[in-house]
Amino acid sequence: MIEQIFFLIFAIIAVGSAVAVVSFRNPVHSVISLLVCFIQMAALFVMLRSPFLAAVQIFVYVGAVLVLFLFVIMMIDIRKASMERFVPGGHFWPVAILIVLVIEMVVIISKSKLEAVLVASPLRLDGSVKEMGEALFSKYILPFEVVSFILLVALLGAIVLGRKELK
Amino acid sequence: MSDKNRSLGRFLKKVFFVDLIQGLAITLPYTFSKTITLRYPDDEKWIPYKRFRGLHTLNKNKDGKELCVGCELCQKACPTQCITVIPGEDKTGKGISDRIGYRWEIDLLRCMYCGLCEDACPTEALKLGREYELAGFSVQRQIRTKDELLNPQEIPVDFEGGVIVKARLVTDDKGIKVKADMSVQKKWW
Amino acid sequence: MLEVLLIILKVVVITMVMFSLPLPLTYMERKVAGHIQVRLGPMRVGPHGILQPFADMIKLLFKEDVVPAKADAWLFRIAPVVSMIPVFAVFATVPFGDKFTIPFINKEVTMYIADMNVGILYVLAVAGLSVYGTILGGWASNSKYALLGGLRASAQMISYELALSFSCIGIVMVVNSLSLLDIVKSQAGWHWNIFYQPLGFIIFFIGGLAEINRIPFDLIEDEGTLGAGYHAEYSSMRFAFFMLTEYVAMVSMSVIMVLLYFGGWDGPSFIPLPGIIWFILKVVFFVYVFMWTRFTYPRYRYDQLMSIGWKILLPLSLVNILITGLVVI
Repeated sequence: MIEQIFFLIFAIIAVGSAVAVVSFRNPVHSVISLLVCFIQMAALFVMLRSPFLAAVQIFVYVGAVLVLFLFVIMMIDIRKASMERFVPGGHFWPVAILIVLVIEMVVIISKSKLEAVLVASPLRLDGSVKEMGEALFSKYILPFEVVSFILLVALLGAIVLGRKELK
Repeated sequence: MSDKNRSLGRFLKKVFFVDLIQGLAITLPYTFSKTITLRYPDDEKWIPYKRFRGLHTLNKNKDGKELCVGCELCQKACPTQCITVIPGEDKTGKGISDRIGYRWEIDLLRCMYCGLCEDACPTEALKLGREYELAGFSVQRQIRTKDELLNPQEIPVDFEGGVIVKARLVTDDKGIKVKADMSVQKKWW
Repeated sequence: MLEVLLIILKVVVITMVMFSLPLPLTYMERKVAGHIQVRLGPMRVGPHGILQPFADMIKLLFKEDVVPAKADAWLFRIAPVVSMIPVFAVFATVPFGDKFTIPFINKEVTMYIADMNVGILYVLAVAGLSVYGTILGGWASNSKYALLGGLRASAQMISYELALSFSCIGIVMVVNSLSLLDIVKSQAGWHWNIFYQPLGFIIFFIGGLAEINRIPFDLIEDEGTLGAGYHAEYSSMRFAFFMLTEYVAMVSMSVIMVLLYFGGWDGPSFIPLPGIIWFILKVVFFVYVFMWTRFTYPRYRYDQLMSIGWKILLPLSLVNILITGLVVI
């Protein structure tokens, strides 16, 4: 009972702040909303008995990624940025995509079992980091390596893009 | 070889933070060393040497007669014209002759303590003493007259000076004074 | 019910202690500064200036709380609180000692609020969050010095957080656990991690100095070039909150250092002192070391700061992991 109340609180704040991310005009305020959203997600991870994921969520996303976001955004001329439109052109395409996404979401949710999320995670890791590490490096070794490879490629791509043109 | 050794030494110095540790080793003894702070108004006070030029004092001779004869030379010598002397006749034997300073005033706000008046005085009546706490609450108070200056100052004339003594802060309507207790003395450093 | 009450009580006690800690710490800092510079430090308020922190507090309480006209008022107001909450939250997992029994009701009480099995990650993650207050405060002030302070804070945080957490991995590899309680327990009886991880400790110490923005890494408030940096526009209680954060962060960094490398409440057995006393002594020692370095070294330049972080500390911490891995295997 208490758990459900907390879940609702976290979920509502998470969704609300996620909406706020796209609706704020000021980019810095958007980042702050994103921060709130990420922290709520970390709380949801804790409720799913996965403190490791929660800590990593805060560590990586809140502690590093968002700081970088802020670092970049603080350089922007806020007054100009907040006047600009998100999507150039009319309102038609964004709204159309939005409608398609909403329909997709409704379909997926109606097909899935919502109780699975609300009650408890079926895969109980009991928060043990050891189990998680073993799962990652034995059962899911291929996806793990693929993900790390993709990240490496992205890293190289970023370096190539960011490099100064050699003449 | 020696060049290589030196660069190796420099590298090792960096690795083991030798410079940083030397820095810390300097500040640590200072933490526990004696401080050089003079806790001036509350606890301690510096007694200057005899040559110090502070508040003026008018001297008397051994028989207690005023040495000032009202010659006005100090008034003439004063570069800022802060001394006012009005001579007067006196037959009561207050002074050493029948001419005394009827009025002798100094405006401390204008005085710059150059000591020229002291040099000009023919009878060694005027002397710049060792009192230096001249802050006060009124402008009127900064004009000192003869009667006040005739009183001997807190620090005895024959006291050598150059020491720190125990003191305490006294604030009254006359101004701010740091009363010195000459019995407890401390050498500078 | 009693358990819940106990937890609430512990939270209240720790929060109160942390809130009042800056008072003696500011006094200590000023005294240490004074004596290192052959001065006396505060002397006039109370005997040996012991009431000086209270005088400062009263002064800060009664000053006007200025919000600059063109500042982002809301962010400007919450920034000090944002920076303050994480440093307090760190203490949720900090074990101050093992267990003790309350004499009359015979109840065993643990000297920590929660023993998380990811304690070390939690501590590092949450301690890193307080930089948001700095960044937001710097940005919201709408002043170029404050903004530069905020920018420096964000870049510095990212550079040093990396080396800091990498140096902790060595400990996790040695101890085989992420729980702070296990880490401390594994060091009992002089098996302190400092003897097994000296390189890790050096990296952690330097990274910690940068993380809590103490000299020689306090570029975010660099008086020389930024004139107070991120809190240039702050006054009154909000400024006090930033100061409070700085001191509590200093304590938390010392506490983490003691827990990870110096055996927590483990002391030499020939001196019979309760564990908590050893713990406090060690923490005070590290706080003193932070102050000592502050008044010994000059400040690094910003490019030096970055090159130390990325070119020296980060490779060294990777080397540390490598060596530890080889030894453990």
